[in-house]
Amino acid sequence: MARHDKLDLMQGTLDLMVLQTLAAMGPQHGYGLARRIEQRSGGDVLLNQGTIYASLVRLQQRGWIDAEWGTSEANRRAKFYAITKAGRTQLAEQKSYWTRLSAVMGRVLAPAGGDPT
Amino acid sequence: MKRIWSRLLALRHRDALDRDYDDEAAAHLELATDDYIRRGLPPDEARRRARLDFGSADAAKVAHREARGLGWVEALVFDVRLAWRGLRRDWRAAFAAVAMLTLGLTLHTVVFTVTGAMLWRGFPHVPRSHELVFLQEHDRLGRCCLSYADVADWQAQAPSFQGIAPVGGTAMAFRDPTGRSMDLRVTTVGANLFELLGVPPALGRTFTADDGVAGARPVVLLSDRIWRARFGGRPEVVGSVVQADGTPAEIIGVMPPGFEFPLAADDGLWMPIGPAASLPRGLSAGAFTAIARLRDGVTLARARAELEAVNRGLELAHGDVNRGIVPSVVDHAQWTSGADARVIWGSLWAASAVVLLIACANVANLTVLRTFGRWHQFATCLALGAGRTRIVRQLAIDGVLLTMAAAIPVWPLTQWAVQEWAARTASRYQAIDYAITAETVAYLAGAALVTAALASLAPIVRVLRLTPADTLQASARASTNGRGTRRLVTSLVAAQVALTLVLLTAAGVLVRSFVNITSAVTGVQAPESVAVGLLRLPSERYPTPEARLTLLSRVEAALADVGGVAQVAFSNGLPVKFAGASRALEAEGRPGLDAHPTFSVTTTTPGYFALLGVAVITGRDFTASDDGPSRQVAIVNERFAAVQWPGESAVGQRVRAVERDGPGPWRVVVGVVANVMGADALRQQFQPLVYVPLLQQPPPRSAFFLVRTHGPADRLSRLVRTTVHDLDRDIALDYEGTLATTFAFDRDFMDAEHSELGKYAKVAPAFALVALLLAATGLVAVVGHAVAQRTREIGVRVAIGASAGSIRRLVVADALRPVALGLTLGALAASAVTRLFTSQLVGVSPSDPLSMLGATALLLSTALLACRVPIRRALQVDPAVVLRHE
Repeated sequence: MARHDKLDLMQGTLDLMVLQTLAAMGPQHGYGLARRIEQRSGGDVLLNQGTIYASLVRLQQRGWIDAEWGTSEANRRAKFYAITKAGRTQLAEQKSYWTRLSAVMGRVLAPAGGDPT
Repeated sequence: MKRIWSRLLALRHRDALDRDYDDEAAAHLELATDDYIRRGLPPDEARRRARLDFGSADAAKVAHREARGLGWVEALVFDVRLAWRGLRRDWRAAFAAVAMLTLGLTLHTVVFTVTGAMLWRGFPHVPRSHELVFLQEHDRLGRCCLSYADVADWQAQAPSFQGIAPVGGTAMAFRDPTGRSMDLRVTTVGANLFELLGVPPALGRTFTADDGVAGARPVVLLSDRIWRARFGGRPEVVGSVVQADGTPAEIIGVMPPGFEFPLAADDGLWMPIGPAASLPRGLSAGAFTAIARLRDGVTLARARAELEAVNRGLELAHGDVNRGIVPSVVDHAQWTSGADARVIWGSLWAASAVVLLIACANVANLTVLRTFGRWHQFATCLALGAGRTRIVRQLAIDGVLLTMAAAIPVWPLTQWAVQEWAARTASRYQAIDYAITAETVAYLAGAALVTAALASLAPIVRVLRLTPADTLQASARASTNGRGTRRLVTSLVAAQVALTLVLLTAAGVLVRSFVNITSAVTGVQAPESVAVGLLRLPSERYPTPEARLTLLSRVEAALADVGGVAQVAFSNGLPVKFAGASRALEAEGRPGLDAHPTFSVTTTTPGYFALLGVAVITGRDFTASDDGPSRQVAIVNERFAAVQWPGESAVGQRVRAVERDGPGPWRVVVGVVANVMGADALRQQFQPLVYVPLLQQPPPRSAFFLVRTHGPADRLSRLVRTTVHDLDRDIALDYEGTLATTFAFDRDFMDAEHSELGKYAKVAPAFALVALLLAATGLVAVVGHAVAQRTREIGVRVAIGASAGSIRRLVVADALRPVALGLTLGALAASAVTRLFTSQLVGVSPSDPLSMLGATALLLSTALLACRVPIRRALQVDPAVVLRHE
């Protein structure tokens, strides 16, 4: 039942999380990214880890991240992703957009003083 | 752009990318499992948890693929498949649409190719042929052609031209190295011609400046045609010497196959003209044309102005001989097809575009009607908030698919049609390069694109006009649902009818003009039973009049012995097509004119008039005793008698030719014959003609034979040929056929202005009929659909006792509304369009009421005919069935 309390990800939000995580942590493989996002969101995000790969390929096509096969710390072959310069620019833009949007949403949704309801 | 590219790449490497993803997913699961094991779970449980966290593997893969870009491309593929299925389900309508578009596109592409070749391509093999212009001169009486002396002055004084080369022709007696003699028509040209044209020879060399100086050794250049026909196609012919009018001349080269210049009418040999200084001034000094190449950026008008300035100077310098002589400069299209060539070929191009447009309208109509059942669905989708783009895209894909299917056969069809056109319109006096080029391909592609857009435009407009409110109406009653569609469809039909009326009317006036020429009264009885041809005698072997007369009498005797031959005669001209000699004539007792009018003088043997079936009105025919110089006689036609001696008897009057070096002997008129059409291209009136006995004035090199046969003469040609060649194999035969074929329209014997009327008069009706057919098809579909929509109404009417007649009237009224509108608009447009063809109209006015009424009647009756199918369907409506459905 607890799962129902988790947030469904809106389109585009996962992409932004991926970019932010890569910017903060440096190159990561898909599993690492998924785990990191789960941890950072404090378990509030409903994430089938597999869906991250669609986001990764989308970001790659836009030139915001690069990918390369490498070896993990546990000596496993894995594909590592790194944010590009264009990706950082995009991240900065998206961040300010989200900040503004969440502020606006907060104001609009907050119970206004004098509201008859 | 980058994204589109990587998505397309992704589509190409789909399997590789899938494998890459599979590897990555596997790695993910291993990492996750490792993680869980490290946190202390047993391996099995760790693997299970890892898989659980990953979520649905299939969903992830699909999401990955979609993100990778199979998205819109796959959607397109899906839409194309959908369209394909839709078209296949309705394959009859789809086939009809494809057939109509193919027809329209093919016609249009063929006309584009032909028009381009006629107007802009010019001569085959000549590079930058469009820069070539033709120069001539005319005096105040409109007589042509060109004084070579003036050409020399132009060459010196007119900077608009890269070069000017005179071109003339003359018959010469040749003896080849084997001793065979033949008279050939040689094209005499300025030694600079081939350099000006820029065409290299296939063998040997072309002329150089040295070949044109005084005292140069005569040289001959051969066409591929004559090289193969007369010199066996042997390369060693180059360098050999032939006798030309008794002087040795060296064959210096052979031109490439297909090169004819300026016309194929001559035998295909070129010799240089000597220096201009050796020729007298004045127009009569030689029937020349000059060919020139314009410098870059020089217009025809500027070139003309420049030559006019030179000619004014010549007038001052040379007085009388050059007085009032005006130069003319025309390009290739005007030269071969008359001054209006661009307007008329442009109109034909437009006509073919109209046919294509009508086809597009039909396809649009079919699509609208075919998807009619889906309007309700579309409107519902819109009401539910679906995007219009998806629907529009679906319709556009329909249009593109149909057009692509239609365009595929257009290419081979066009090639075939252009080849056929080139073969059927081949002419001795016109060399046109009909090669299909990359431009044609590009044009076809462009035309197909526009066609696709036009064909899907109407249905798309209809979708964009849909409002969600239409859903309510649509569900209310099908008959009201159709109103917007019907308005669209009927206006398309009205447009088709209007355009078709324009085409039919234009075709009507052109055909009438053509028929006025070809069906003109010639005055000759049963021309299909007269075999004719030109005998060209080698003048070396028959140098004297006596020798030629002896030969002709031997030919006459031999031909008379051929089975089926009734009469034989000779002359120096033939009715309608070949004028006899043109002579200035003086009638006795009527002097006073400083320049005597010229008349066509035909030399004939006795029996010529009887053979043609031309009555001797008064006096007598020539006889065998009208032979010596003692008593020179002449016969005139009724028209000549009426013009020269109105109200008097012509018999006994005297006429004589006035030559440059004085008058000839007086000839007594011994007879007046009925009028025969002379060599008049337009054949609208009988000319005054004079006949003299061939025995008194034998033609110098050639004579026409006329053989009247019992029954049709067309199978006699071979027999005539062998008979003549049995007497002398070096006699060349030319223009063989019957008098009837001689009378047929022949562009080579028309004035430039009307030379292509035959083509116009065949192409225009073909377009008009195709348009009529297409419009009729459109009408059948539209009326049929209207009937289908009103099935219930018709059922009710029948149920309450409506007669078959009233149902019929109902359907016809439905059909005739757009037709009437189209006819009104078309009539207005037609009278404007036919005016463009004024120059082509012989004996018919541009606002010819017969053509207009005929076109209207044809369209109306076709429309009524088109109603027959829907009417039958309407009459079959069973009220019981219809009402039960309610």
